[in-house]
Amino acid sequence: MVDWRIYEHPILEFDRGKEVTIYLDGKPMKAFESETVAAALYANGLREFSKSIKYRRPRGFFCAIGRCSACMMEVDGVPNVRTCVTMCKEGMQIKRQKYPADYLNPVLNLMKLPPAVYMRLMTKPSFIYKPAMTVMRELTGLGAFKKELPGPAPATMGNEGTLETDFLVVGGGPAGMQASIEAGKRGADIIIIDDKDRLGGQLLKQTHTFFSDVKYAAGKRGFKLGEQMIAQLSELPNVKVLTETSAVGYYPKEDVMLMKRPGNATLKVRAKKYLVSTGAYEKTLVFENNDIPGVYGAGGVQTLLNVFGVKPGNRGILLGTGNVALMVAYHLIQAGIEVVGVYAPSFRRVRGYFVHAAKIQRHGVPIVTRHTIVKALGKNEVKGAVITRLNPDYSPAEGSQFTVDCDFICIGVGLNPAYDLVQLFNPKMVNNGTLGGMVPIRDKTFRFAPNAYIAGDCGSIEEATTAMLEGGLAGLYVTEALGRGDEGVTTKIEEYTHALEEDRGSPFSTRLKAAIEEITVENIEEVLS
Amino acid sequence: MSEEELNALQRGYHKRDELEEFDALPPEEIVKEKRVALIECVEEIPCNPCAVVCRQDAIQKEGLCTPGKVDWNKCSGCTMCVAVCPGLSIFLQQIKDGKGYVTLPYELLPAPKVGMTVQLRDRSGKVVGEGKIVNPTYQARGDAYPRWVVTVEMDDPELSYEVRAIKIPEE
Repeated sequence: MVDWRIYEHPILEFDRGKEVTIYLDGKPMKAFESETVAAALYANGLREFSKSIKYRRPRGFFCAIGRCSACMMEVDGVPNVRTCVTMCKEGMQIKRQKYPADYLNPVLNLMKLPPAVYMRLMTKPSFIYKPAMTVMRELTGLGAFKKELPGPAPATMGNEGTLETDFLVVGGGPAGMQASIEAGKRGADIIIIDDKDRLGGQLLKQTHTFFSDVKYAAGKRGFKLGEQMIAQLSELPNVKVLTETSAVGYYPKEDVMLMKRPGNATLKVRAKKYLVSTGAYEKTLVFENNDIPGVYGAGGVQTLLNVFGVKPGNRGILLGTGNVALMVAYHLIQAGIEVVGVYAPSFRRVRGYFVHAAKIQRHGVPIVTRHTIVKALGKNEVKGAVITRLNPDYSPAEGSQFTVDCDFICIGVGLNPAYDLVQLFNPKMVNNGTLGGMVPIRDKTFRFAPNAYIAGDCGSIEEATTAMLEGGLAGLYVTEALGRGDEGVTTKIEEYTHALEEDRGSPFSTRLKAAIEEITVENIEEVLS
Repeated sequence: MSEEELNALQRGYHKRDELEEFDALPPEEIVKEKRVALIECVEEIPCNPCAVVCRQDAIQKEGLCTPGKVDWNKCSGCTMCVAVCPGLSIFLQQIKDGKGYVTLPYELLPAPKVGMTVQLRDRSGKVVGEGKIVNPTYQARGDAYPRWVVTVEMDDPELSYEVRAIKIPEE
């Protein structure tokens, strides 16, 4: 039987919990309770999770953190479930969404219209809407609810009511956790939510030791730092942790945030202050066949490797020379997976820290700058990649193309702030390339709307230590705003501000610092009015 | 564009002469006298565990972001800095009785054992020879554990200026 799980790792020990059996299209598969459905399916060798709606292109998973939608499948009768954030349970029935009208699709495709339009055009007049919609959803492969859901559906698909709290933190990564710790220590009532089954965010995927000052994170391995913070939070009785909970909307008029709880139940939370620390998502690259299974985001590979202990493949290449790409290359080496090379168009220098580059090269992984990918080979999964050298004007150098034999391609070309939730607070958004994309204007206390704060990567793409410091600061400013401030808070704010300044003191952060100054204003109310 | 035209930052690894220009490598008389640390971290990044951990006060760092410099007269070769460096960029070097010794951090599998014959790799990853593990210490405590600090012996002392990684063959 195929098993892609890693059982020996130099740094990590995988505690997989109880073994369970899940069923893919009726076929039993070995899985573990601590695994997501996507990880379990992957470990059993499944690469194609779904097909694209319009052109029926194979879809594997890309981000593995519930941001993209390439891994949607039917789970226990519910269609379009993001399998990468759904945990395995005994006897779970997973189905690849069926397309009874696959033969019809060429006809639909001829119309060159996106499915949403078929649904508008072909479900009229209104009296045929209901049956037509069901048919259309099935035809386009979007899936429809079955009449009867298995299990105790009515009980779980309920409404969990409205909770009131002082401080709601959305996103349990380094920024969100640190904010909850700092505000929680000072007595505020806090709810912290995360859409994964555990807090920790990307910290839990970092097996390498961090830089920065020894007073904060330096020298510690990221996943241990995450575990420490989770332990610290669990000691605070006034901090309520809700996992597997996604914030799906904020309604300024009612001042309430709507959440989806496990089992599709809804929950509303009204808080005096909100912190958005939703992190970021992966950027992708444009090249031929970049959508086939086997092309992953760097974060997706990290999740598979370091959280679930599942190999993404046997031989891979990396695209990008930023710190994320270099670190993932090192994580792959640690897991005993062959990395053929790291390819990136960088001309001036390797973009990430030099020491990260040096530590992978000395293990025989070449960093090939001034090169880029042209296309991925393979039909239903990656079989190789075509790489080309670049001229100084970034045009492909003629005759320099070569083929690399690999079974996965990992894209680590940067991150976009996850600003979706931020926008619902009606902030003033600006596009800032240095900070990663769309970010809100904020004041010195990280406030971007009358009652909302921002910290971490969703406010500016940086790294974990700065996210922690920003989160800590935001937590302290919220404490002050809630009227719980005292001398201790002021001293702590000064300490964190100084540390943040020092962390951003390297030449790497010169542009970033200027960009942050640009989007920070004295009075946020003036900007918003 | 040939590789010769690239500088260290474009290649992602140093050559020996570039590090010598930066005074990162200890002089010959020092390495023949005792085992000393050398820091191959030349970039300004916010980091300080090496300077904090050194009990001899041999690693100077002016600010959080200035690269560390080793005072080879003070360095006792205790390996503490190798065990904590987040960038895995600190090594120890010694030349003794005509043999070269390099101490390096190791975070891979299989686990090193005394007497193992291993492949020696230089900074670019090229295999430059074979060596023998003489002293593997497992860091079971501290923030960076689990990490091995491994000393390898090589017959050609000149190689100790180049060897920065080992590959332990699978059994």
